[in-house]
Amino acid sequence: MGVCITGIGIVSAIGMSVEENLNALREGKTGIGPLHYLRGTKAQLAGEVKASNDDLRASLGVGTGYVSRTSLLGLQAAREAWGDNKRSGVIRTGIISATSVGGMDRSEVFYKDYLAQNSPDYQLLTTHDSGSTTERIARELGITGYIDTLSTACSSGVNAIMLGARLILQGTLDRVLVGGSDALSGFTIDGFRSLMIYDDQWCRPFDDSRAGLNLGEGAGFLLLEGEKSLELTGNKPICNVSGWANAADAYHQTASSPDGKGATLAIQNAISRAGIGLDQISYVNAHGTGTKNNDHSESVALQNVFGDRVPPFSSTKAFTGHTLAAAGAIEAVFSVLAIQHNLIFPNLNYRTPIAETGLVPATRLETGAEVNAVLSNSFGFGGNNSSLVLTKYE
Amino acid sequence: MDSLKEDLKKQIIEQLNLEDLTAADIADDALLFNDQGIGLDSIDALELIVLLEKYHGIQLTNPEEGKEAFKSINTMAEYIRKRKAA
Amino acid sequence: MSKPALYISAASTISHQPTFRNAGFSETLGPVEASSALISPDYKAYIDAGLLRRMSKILRMSVACAKDCVEQAGSGQPDAIVVGTGLGCLQDTEKFLNTSLTVEGLLPPTSFIQSTHNTMAGQISLSLGNHGYNMTHTQNTLSFEHALLDAAMLLREGDRNVLVGAADEHIDILNDIAVQLAFEATAPLTSAASFFILSDEHTGNAAAALADLFTSGATDNAQEEIDAFLDRNGLQPGDIDLALYAGKPVSGVARNIDYLPLAGVYPTASAFAMHYAVDVLSENSKVRNVLICNTLRKSNLGLILLQAVEA
Repeated sequence: MGVCITGIGIVSAIGMSVEENLNALREGKTGIGPLHYLRGTKAQLAGEVKASNDDLRASLGVGTGYVSRTSLLGLQAAREAWGDNKRSGVIRTGIISATSVGGMDRSEVFYKDYLAQNSPDYQLLTTHDSGSTTERIARELGITGYIDTLSTACSSGVNAIMLGARLILQGTLDRVLVGGSDALSGFTIDGFRSLMIYDDQWCRPFDDSRAGLNLGEGAGFLLLEGEKSLELTGNKPICNVSGWANAADAYHQTASSPDGKGATLAIQNAISRAGIGLDQISYVNAHGTGTKNNDHSESVALQNVFGDRVPPFSSTKAFTGHTLAAAGAIEAVFSVLAIQHNLIFPNLNYRTPIAETGLVPATRLETGAEVNAVLSNSFGFGGNNSSLVLTKYE
Repeated sequence: MDSLKEDLKKQIIEQLNLEDLTAADIADDALLFNDQGIGLDSIDALELIVLLEKYHGIQLTNPEEGKEAFKSINTMAEYIRKRKAA
Repeated sequence: MSKPALYISAASTISHQPTFRNAGFSETLGPVEASSALISPDYKAYIDAGLLRRMSKILRMSVACAKDCVEQAGSGQPDAIVVGTGLGCLQDTEKFLNTSLTVEGLLPPTSFIQSTHNTMAGQISLSLGNHGYNMTHTQNTLSFEHALLDAAMLLREGDRNVLVGAADEHIDILNDIAVQLAFEATAPLTSAASFFILSDEHTGNAAAALADLFTSGATDNAQEEIDAFLDRNGLQPGDIDLALYAGKPVSGVARNIDYLPLAGVYPTASAFAMHYAVDVLSENSKVRNVLICNTLRKSNLGLILLQAVEA
């Protein structure tokens, strides 16, 4: 039976729920645009969640103002994935979230006042550390015991899913809520601008003219259950988490290797862990950030693994923007939707293949083929490469 | 002695934390991005773009353009003079 | 009952105390002074100059300890690298935050790149040329315990040797924040890194065995969980020769030592305690069972059970 996904939740620039996200994906409607809620940044375009912190706090029933947007977004998605499930004294339940900025959205408010000596509010810093964002989500859901946070830059979300699956297989937990959350912040926008990979135009993943990414924000969560938990909850499995792998590129602090070494290892090991053939992968949800370097390196890795039979693939980042630590979790939810509804999502803003590799992504919503297994890639700074294989529940 | 080149060397050492080097250790024609030369990498290239703006008021928006300009101290000085004359 | 033991075949700590390459340090250690500073080795002996020039304190400490561990263990390339950090790369985070709020023009990217929590694990993989599993856990005061749990799982999944450790760095603003938030530190705030090689087999050089470990977040009954943990391992409190604790002493054990005055206060100080315990176990054959009980933050419980290696 392995590890089953029984609940999914998501909030992103294209919607506040699974249903809204699915509709936008079907309609090919991007959520990237000028920033409305986060003011004073230099970003022309970003994938902002269409709700203020006050809106989120009100709808989630969170009273305190000392809560990061990262926690609020995480809670929104975690609640949806958790659904009507109950706490249980018998089912050992844990939570693993992933974040790269933690409460930076609050910390930068503090630090600005601190520098200006303008009575800074030190209480804002109680939400700074990444672990506290997960502790907040756990508290709101009443989960105690195994509470953990991973932070491996842009691959964090997939790593949380992988860790959750391993904990269930080792018998440490019966059920675990896994995902990732990151809010937009001036810090990350300036950071990617300083790297000169923030595109002021719409990002164009896998296009020859691609010139960088647009940041986004959001959260994705999935409820994973093992056999014992399923027997007790009676939840209906949607998909299986079948394969996973993480590998280090060990090439450069930020850049991916031109031969795609780490990415190739991650993809190969994840598929081999899933125990299926290369030709059984129906769709690849690529990392595809829209930077020169990533999309080239990822294309090479796909060709390393699949040769000239690369499955239909697309990056959904032109819908959501690059949501950093949340990306792997958000895209895992998209992968579940692909399997559930037999869909292959379009790679928006694509025109011309990358000259060196010639790979052509799916550019239109495809509804005709059966989608039984999806490979989802997430690659991060420090050469942190992760891949996930989800399969139809049998 | 070319004062622009000497200034550049000092600025590079500071901007890139090249603690073990002095200006005298960097030859005008040493290849900055070669392991046999100074051994800089792509992060340093971005730091050099910041340096150009900070000390010389020159904006370089396309990192590709930097590849030619940042070959050596000679090419950097030449690039700065050309941009300033334009 | 617990799973088969794992072995600690190397340990390395850089801290405010003379811990680095100083076996037997546990016998002479006094409380860390408020005026103390990090005792740094010659980093050039461990880190390539091209990488070193950009590295903040936390990166230097971490990479040097990691390399030292790999050298001590002599088991070659580890199969995986797992790191825990409570607050991550504070020096670079503050630097970039400052730049981003004060500089109008282009921003230097280096401190942004090195502000992410996984910079230590990433730099270690680069320095070792390691392509294995590379993970970073950040769970407040339990960050190290979660890293150690992950490493233990990897060994049960078939890995042979895993490099696992923790690091946190102090920056000046932390003192100010501690005062403003009324955080009552029982010892000075410090920086440190501790790394270990955890192995599935005792190959002769292991200094201690990791018998079991456990974490519990948002806990309201630590005592009950400690009792249950010992019980699972077939032990009574009286069987524990030494408890190293942060927060509350463990009742019923032969001896209690508060490790915070020795390590100083930082979120992953339990990693310092683990090296201290390893040192005690290898120096003093009368000590058989050591329990590290971390309640640095009251609602977070971390338990690590170490045992002497049978000769």
